[in-house]
Amino acid sequence: MFTSNPFAELTVFLPPSAMQIFIGLMIVAVFIGTLADMLHKNSGKYFARRRQQAKAAATRELGGADKLSMAIKTLAVEVATAGEFCNVQRRISHVLMFYGFIFYLATTVVMVFAYPTPATPTPAIIPLLWNIGVIMVLIGGYWFFFLLRVNVARDGQPVFRFVLADLFIVTLLGSVTFALIWEYVQTTGNLTATKIAFGLYILFSTLLFGTVRWSKLAHMFFKPVVAFQRRVEEASGASSLPAPATRNDGAN
Amino acid sequence: MPTFVYMTDCDGCGECVDICPSDIMHIDPTHRRAFNIEPNFCWECYSCVKACPQHAIDVRGYADFAPLGHSVRVLREEEKSTISWKVRFRDGREKSFVSPIRTTPWGSIKSPAEYDAPSQDDFKSQELAHEPETLKVDKLPALTPGNLKTGVV
Repeated sequence: MFTSNPFAELTVFLPPSAMQIFIGLMIVAVFIGTLADMLHKNSGKYFARRRQQAKAAATRELGGADKLSMAIKTLAVEVATAGEFCNVQRRISHVLMFYGFIFYLATTVVMVFAYPTPATPTPAIIPLLWNIGVIMVLIGGYWFFFLLRVNVARDGQPVFRFVLADLFIVTLLGSVTFALIWEYVQTTGNLTATKIAFGLYILFSTLLFGTVRWSKLAHMFFKPVVAFQRRVEEASGASSLPAPATRNDGAN
Repeated sequence: MPTFVYMTDCDGCGECVDICPSDIMHIDPTHRRAFNIEPNFCWECYSCVKACPQHAIDVRGYADFAPLGHSVRVLREEEKSTISWKVRFRDGREKSFVSPIRTTPWGSIKSPAEYDAPSQDDFKSQELAHEPETLKVDKLPALTPGNLKTGVV
């Protein structure tokens, strides 16, 4: 089950072009949703103003090498290892979801476009990575959903009281959970159950990528930019925060 | 003036929710980030500002001079037991202060939850839970009827 391409088996009741069109539509939906989100929140305008203010308050001019070094640090710390999180559990959960989601997305695209039918056998590593991605998202996602959501863990709200901020995590978990169920049901040969599980997988995937305007998927694009800007502000002296203390009064 | 949260800097860790003595820092249901639910009840204690690991919380200045660019920012460094303040005045001057905040290592004081629950006999005592040992004294002074002047009781 873990080493065969589940999308190739869909040709029993669905032409390969259907999934390819679906993925194309989802890419368009994410693009439009991100754009609408940016326009609605005026984040571009806010960010430009923040950059202008930081430039005016800077006490040190940064060179190209400085900025390149900061961009590499941002990629290595904030993007690759979710370094912005101070809570270690949240950081691990986020890293699991981040890499799991990337594996899941990338291998889905490869399987749907490069190996759409059983006539073009899929290398076993690709469905394996798809399943690893799904399992990583499931572990990180359910851990986050039940134990780490701050409104539940710190604000005392019930686990199943859903708010708009849950849209992303619920649709993501729905998508990967039903992907795994559909993959399993498909191996049993029950066509009706396969259609139902696949339908739910498509429904949650559509909600995941179609609701970017209201969910937080767009944070994938703007968070690294803000993290980079924060590094620039600290290095150029534009940050309003005090510099770290040079004395140590600690009894540690 | 009340606290507010820079939403792009907040990572929704909930430290401010735990520490706010007025219980007015809560989690926003749309973005799952902290926000001040009742600015009128904020007394500028700066607890959340100091506790925020992302430095995402600030205190809003008074409307007559806030637009002129002042700022009061704070950085608490637990490992150094220091707290640093940077005050930027409207005319551009800056003043920085560093102060010690502890004489014992951070986290070395037991929280109330780490003490044993009081027994029934403890409720009959005039002393509070775990006194006097938590006050680092052998005995607390107390008035007994014999110590009181005649005619008072």
